Amino acid sequence: MSKELRLDCLGEACPVPLIKTQKKMKKVGVGDTLVVEVDHSCAIKNVPEWARKEGYNCEIDEIDDGQWEIYIEKTK
Amino acid sequence: MEVSKGNKRKKKKANQIPVGIGLLIIIIILGYLIKNLGTKHPMSWLLGILLGFTLRNSRFCFTASLRDPVLTGGTSLSKAVIITIALATIGFAAIQYGAYIEGTSIPGNISPSGVHIAIGAFMFGIGMVIAGGCASGTLMRVGEGFMMQWLSLIFFIIGSLWGAKHFGFWENTFMNRGKEVFLPDVLGWFPALILQFGLLLSLYILADRFGNKNN
Repeated sequence: MSKELRLDCLGEACPVPLIKTQKKMKKVGVGDTLVVEVDHSCAIKNVPEWARKEGYNCEIDEIDDGQWEIYIEKTK
Repeated sequence: MEVSKGNKRKKKKANQIPVGIGLLIIIIILGYLIKNLGTKHPMSWLLGILLGFTLRNSRFCFTASLRDPVLTGGTSLSKAVIITIALATIGFAAIQYGAYIEGTSIPGNISPSGVHIAIGAFMFGIGMVIAGGCASGTLMRVGEGFMMQWLSLIFFIIGSLWGAKHFGFWENTFMNRGKEVFLPDVLGWFPALILQFGLLLSLYILADRFGNKNN
């Protein structure tokens, strides 16, 4: 059963969301999904870029004006 | 990909298009209103807005271009900045060479080099990484509505004024002792451009290799 973990990065400026995500991703099990909550527009560029380079599945969802959830699925 | 998007807190978003059209009309009207101040003003107004728009939508960030290779291993923005500098070099070279041919003084900030550049760059580097943006990046995010950076802007202004207050010290201690170096004067126009583009190209290749190696 795959789990879904959440990471709160609201109010954090670059590069804090990406570094927090990188650290958290190490603890996420294969098959699980990490949901990163951000409100910094740069984070929806550099976090998915990093995740896709690592080979993870990644999707962005704008849940409110200027607030996003980044879904990263650890595939390997 | 399959992700469960349960417990959605999605609110119905307000349609921003009418606001955008209204803003566009205001921008154009303001451009017309300031035309009596001189032709420079409407042009600056328009260029500033277009640059801000581009900066925001491309998420271009000078801070990230210098910070990410060290901190996260990403170099895509470093490469973007190198391309920007290369493009700007073409424009600058054209303007300066034009002035050189006409025999007028060469435009541009040609200041003496010295220790003060290293000190200033080091201080600015620490500041911009903590604040999460350089000058243009901070301004862009202030406009975007990221509250934390409003604070950065206030201290950015305080810091600039502080620097201006002590400018005399830097000028007397370091700048006046430094030597003004304008590469085309030293090497000639063609070799200077070759050197500049050669350096940029090698930096680009380095950034590209580094970026691929780290991921």
